[in-house]
Amino acid sequence: MSAGYNFGFLDEHAKKEVRRAILKAISIPGYQVPYSSREMPMGRGFGTGGLQITLSLIGANDTLKVIDQGSDDSVNAVNLRQFIEMTCPGIDTTTRLSEATLIQSRHRIPETPLKPEQVLVLQVPYPDPLVVVEPSEDKRKIMHGEADYARLLVKLYEDIVKFDEITISHRYPTRINDHYVIDPSPIPRWDVPKLDNSPALILFGAGREKKIYAVPPHTKGEPLAFEDVPFRVEDFRDAQGKRRACARCGATDTFLDEFMNEDGSKRYQCSDSDYCDETLEADMMTEATTHA
Amino acid sequence: MSNNFKAALQSTLSGIWQADTQQRTFRQIMNAFARPGVIETLEGEFLEGDGMLLTLATLLDGATTLADVDGLLSEHDLARLEVSTLAAEQARFVLTHGKVAPAFMPSLGTLESPDTGATIILKIQEIGSGNRLKLTGPGVDGACEVAVNGLHPAWLAAHQEWNSAFPLGVDMLLVAEHQVMALPRTTRIEEIK
Repeated sequence: MSAGYNFGFLDEHAKKEVRRAILKAISIPGYQVPYSSREMPMGRGFGTGGLQITLSLIGANDTLKVIDQGSDDSVNAVNLRQFIEMTCPGIDTTTRLSEATLIQSRHRIPETPLKPEQVLVLQVPYPDPLVVVEPSEDKRKIMHGEADYARLLVKLYEDIVKFDEITISHRYPTRINDHYVIDPSPIPRWDVPKLDNSPALILFGAGREKKIYAVPPHTKGEPLAFEDVPFRVEDFRDAQGKRRACARCGATDTFLDEFMNEDGSKRYQCSDSDYCDETLEADMMTEATTHA
Repeated sequence: MSNNFKAALQSTLSGIWQADTQQRTFRQIMNAFARPGVIETLEGEFLEGDGMLLTLATLLDGATTLADVDGLLSEHDLARLEVSTLAAEQARFVLTHGKVAPAFMPSLGTLESPDTGATIILKIQEIGSGNRLKLTGPGVDGACEVAVNGLHPAWLAAHQEWNSAFPLGVDMLLVAEHQVMALPRTTRIEEIK
């Protein structure tokens, strides 16, 4: 069913504006390009920024994967995927990262490295990392232009004074191409190193805040840190210092979600469901060959 | 039918005005901007002449501005693009011939809004042969080499001068027949002698 809608829901003028913003975002890595974010048939905060980018990029030859917190089956991913399938007749959708040409994601970058021909679109709730230290957007724009992040570094330093470490768990401020500092969307620290020298283009869309920004491929992405307090990712070791494994596929090199069993004990599982499935399948294949 | 009218009719009916053509072309132009030095060949059997009009049809509409410095567009095509024209000093898009040195100063944007710096679309002879350039910067894995034919050396000097105070600057898109290649403001260009 698509009667009455333009391909991709947005009208062609809206797409062209988003496309022009994307080109400037790529040309000025990390700079938040303003655009006139359109009203979408879902609430702002449900990924309308990422959605507008996806709809401006997608064509009949594309295979789309939509991820919410690592999973293709959570409610936000299902809703967005169904909406895109309905308004873009002819496109393919997949849960397999390797099959996708276009990936829209909320809160995660896939575990498997992206391929150069893929494009990753991240949904962003709060695009400006300076908002915690400066309420005026006019002043923030000047600070960004001058690459003046002294007050943001003071904020991180205050964390160290109080807690002996930087306590930001997600949305970790990351400096792109030695100039702009971005909010990389609510990805965990685990995913931040994937912004550095990425093989694929990464686009960020903030619908409510009306901003688009980009990290081009092969571009420096450096989490803000201090010489004596380096950046580090989440630690998944147990009390004995052993790396926890996924309870489902056994992987010991992925970002794990923590679940509570009925008896109160904890269980850990891959957050990236596609990666977990593929590891399981590969294991089963090996097992089948061994038994044959 | 007069020849003029026939040409106008042909261009009006051409596939370059179709949304799906423009979507595919945009993805190629986007890849060119994301990977300076990569040459994209615009596709479509409907392409008569060159890919210039397709590039413009993909990027422009009534919400932006264009300066056609060297009069490369016919009046009919200009009208069909629906774009408002402005002087090269103010326009968001500047269309010009690459074989002559620039005789204008484009908008470099402002510190607060560097995205208002112009996008310069340069018509040149050929990409892939000619003067060799070494490119480095975001989007390039280490360094890459590309050759261009029909680009006046003054444009390389201008690229360096206008982009000397990042984030201010201009972004260039070279178009040669059906090929496009981008030189965004972050790309450092060295001539290989």
